[in-house]
Amino acid sequence: MVDSKQQWKAWLYLSPAIILLLVFTVWPIINTVRMAFLDGYNGLAIVGGARFTVGIANFQKVIGLTSFKTSLYNTTLLCVLTVPISTLLALLIAVALNSIKPLQKLLQTIFFLPYVTNSIAIGMVFAAMFNIVGNMGTAGNDIIITAGIINNLIELFGGEPINWINAGSTYAANITVMVVYIVWNALPFKILVLLGGLQSINRQYYDAAKVDGTPRARVFTRITVPLLSPMLAYVIITGFIGGFKEYSSIVGIFGEDMGPAGAPHRLNTIVGYIYDALPKMNYGQASAAALILFAIILVVTMINMQVSKKRVHY
Amino acid sequence: MAKNKNEIVMHERNIQNVSAKQRVVKVMVKVMIYLFLVVMALIVLFPFYWMISSSLKSLDEYRLTVPTFWPRQVIFSNYADAFTTASLGRLFLNTAYVGIVSTLLSLVITVLSAFAFARLEFKGRETMFAALLGTMMIPGELFTITNYATINTFGWMNTFKVLIFPFLVSVFYIYLLRQNFLQIPNELYLAAKVDGTGDLKYLWKVMVPLSLPTLISITILKMMGAWNSYVWPNLVANDPAHRLITNGLRNAFTDATGDVNYPVQMAAVAIVSAPLFLVFLFLRKYIMTGVSRSGIKG
Amino acid sequence: MKVVLQNLTKIFPSRDKKAGKEVVAVNDFTFEIPDGKLIGLLGPSGCGKSTTLYMISGLQKPTGGKIFFGDDDVTELSTENRGIGLVFQNYALYPHMTVKQNILFPLQNLKGADKLDKDTMLERAYEVARLVQIDELMDRKPSELSGGQQQRVAIARALVKMPRVLLLDEPLSNLDARLRLQTREEIRRIQKETGITTVFVTHDQEEAMSISDMIVVMKLGVVQQIGEPQEVYDNPINLFVAKFLGTPPINVLGGRVEGGRLFIGEDMVMEVTGVADQPVVVGIRPEGFELDDNGPLCCTLKNVEVMGRDVSIVSSHAASLNPQIRSIINADHRVDTSAETVRFSLKPHKVFLFDAGTEARIPYEVK
Repeated sequence: MVDSKQQWKAWLYLSPAIILLLVFTVWPIINTVRMAFLDGYNGLAIVGGARFTVGIANFQKVIGLTSFKTSLYNTTLLCVLTVPISTLLALLIAVALNSIKPLQKLLQTIFFLPYVTNSIAIGMVFAAMFNIVGNMGTAGNDIIITAGIINNLIELFGGEPINWINAGSTYAANITVMVVYIVWNALPFKILVLLGGLQSINRQYYDAAKVDGTPRARVFTRITVPLLSPMLAYVIITGFIGGFKEYSSIVGIFGEDMGPAGAPHRLNTIVGYIYDALPKMNYGQASAAALILFAIILVVTMINMQVSKKRVHY
Repeated sequence: MAKNKNEIVMHERNIQNVSAKQRVVKVMVKVMIYLFLVVMALIVLFPFYWMISSSLKSLDEYRLTVPTFWPRQVIFSNYADAFTTASLGRLFLNTAYVGIVSTLLSLVITVLSAFAFARLEFKGRETMFAALLGTMMIPGELFTITNYATINTFGWMNTFKVLIFPFLVSVFYIYLLRQNFLQIPNELYLAAKVDGTGDLKYLWKVMVPLSLPTLISITILKMMGAWNSYVWPNLVANDPAHRLITNGLRNAFTDATGDVNYPVQMAAVAIVSAPLFLVFLFLRKYIMTGVSRSGIKG
Repeated sequence: MKVVLQNLTKIFPSRDKKAGKEVVAVNDFTFEIPDGKLIGLLGPSGCGKSTTLYMISGLQKPTGGKIFFGDDDVTELSTENRGIGLVFQNYALYPHMTVKQNILFPLQNLKGADKLDKDTMLERAYEVARLVQIDELMDRKPSELSGGQQQRVAIARALVKMPRVLLLDEPLSNLDARLRLQTREEIRRIQKETGITTVFVTHDQEEAMSISDMIVVMKLGVVQQIGEPQEVYDNPINLFVAKFLGTPPINVLGGRVEGGRLFIGEDMVMEVTGVADQPVVVGIRPEGFELDDNGPLCCTLKNVEVMGRDVSIVSSHAASLNPQIRSIINADHRVDTSAETVRFSLKPHKVFLFDAGTEARIPYEVK
């Protein structure tokens, strides 16, 4: 039933999408690959009429750079820390939410709130909460004007205040803050998906387990988690993909410098590295880095899928 | 006989013990669950509380070594200060303009494409659709580099165009809407054709109303996207005339740490966050269904 | 283990709060299930039979009344401490576990003194697997089994911990006709071999009649009649029970009693001594008809269906409350299919009289 009128009508309707996609999606894919494999490709040099040879110099250069290695390390570390923590917490919260009736709707709404936020804006709130005004590392005559609410709380419970994000703070402290913020930000989506999954599990499995006197912990590990495994896999895969693209949450807390005062770029990520290269018109290296990012995401996703195949039931 | 009776009594007592114990355990578990949830909820809410309470404090009160739970004296002028310091008015207008224009255009493009994929027969339809879906796998950062170069070539730096066009087409939204369109029986389309109803009229009168929930979800997510976008605008349109709200916020308060006037900064953050909360409050259903299907933020 | 239900009542609060109407799912159910018997709870959907089963299991708490297992009051006891086995209507086999894992699951929950070592558990699992004849399938997943096999796995899982009472919720409803016949005999055999007191719920009267030691017929939460299948069939307490049991169903006609004689339409069909003059509803079992050229009941012949052993005669009568009357007679009788009418005499013990208002059975002396 393919008549010619439908043919050209279809292409007419699709034309705005196709034109935009060709310019801003398809061409970039081709061009990124092209630029990545042209040795030393640079936006400024091309204006000067330079020609480039095909090769893998960009990749070699990028991989050799300390700044890229730092970015890769930071990104991986944040992923490895935040994905398991947020998934586990989200799972516990979703299971708890699923087991109550009164207040369920209210709590569900509260847990979703971080989703509808602006990660830059709320990052600034987190920065305020962890910020210290004053100097605490040095001589005793320095006065801490405000230790920040988090440190106030730590002191309330008898702990020592920590320099979280200010000048002179440790890398570990910085990463801790980032993990807290990223997990906080990642919870809502995971809870939403997992709770949806839980609610679609047939109640009879739980009745059957109850008849057999299955302890709660065993119901959780032997029934809930396996039956929820497709949702868990989904949440973990999207978590890793999102994690490897981490950028704006760090800008939210540390600003464009991607690090505490005195140690800029200490917390840079792969995406941050790509963006840094753009104003310098360093397109070749940026493209190489982007392709590396793509490859990492692809590999991680495939590993996840492989594991899922074995672990995810039905 | 007597012994037998004794045994039965013992047994009954055992059973009563068991059921009493059961009830205690049940209540304990319920209490633990609620305790856990409430504590987690408080942690989740804490940044919001701190934002609001700080935004109403005087700078002196904010800097107290022992913080106050709630401002002793509520200072609303922080909000006015925030508005002028960050010239939020201008940023609001810019963002609204970009948000509305790109949402409308995006809706038109999405509806037309989804309709073509769902209802019209043309050569290479399946291949094309599969190719489109394939692009969803690629991280957006990969496009950014070339797009940055492209708009440089176009001379679009620091215009609204650059904020609207490059990411106007969302393959995911086309996919979502196509699925929705497919659920509408084809007979309706054929019936409309028999009646001589044109495609566009049919789209507008039948398809659009029937898939309104999806369209609303798309609208909200797209608007939220404009409101929250930071990276791309920061690269290509960070001049005062075109700056969007998130960039403006970050730019106006470059220092996140150190000796900062936090009350004003928090007031600005609260102003920027407020519209999102309002939208969420009233359109929760659409956001949550949209999100659970997409997994994409904003 | 005998099971005693004492004034068992379950009231569900109304879903729609404004309407404020409560639903009485089970109303004042009292019954003692003797040890080692197979009991069928029978009734149309919504009669409260499943609710009753779930209350026995402990998954639902009764609004009133008590439940005893033996001499123990288990009303307040939660499910896991009752020592029951429950087979769900759709089996509720864990889809991610193999058959073996499914069967082992209840055993692995045992604690303290009841705890078993691995070998014993496996032994027990294989023992029940053999009992239900699925020991060849132990390493399959439920999705790789047929409906009948899944059913057996579900029964094995319920039996493996040697329950005091076995409960089956519509155990055959998800099986096709042939399997249903086979499985119900299987259930009967397993029940006999284990001797576990068993209660099962069904809406299929044939199923209940064929394997139960006793059946309980329920309607709208109220028990109508309890008894051995044959007894209930032969002596239904009211029109509902009479109509619910038997295939083909009982024929229902309008009639009246005058001076100890039963009239259907203008035909005087039987002497019914001791019944006062009144309009009645007459129920006649299909096998209660006898071809008789001089018989008192004259019907218009519509169709004759030969079924080999029997002949089913479809006819109509002005007084019939159903469109047609179906009678089953021995195939030795030759029916003149070209005739316009057919005459019957009735077997008195297959004819029941019911009050036209209350539909309760009106007894009469059979001569």
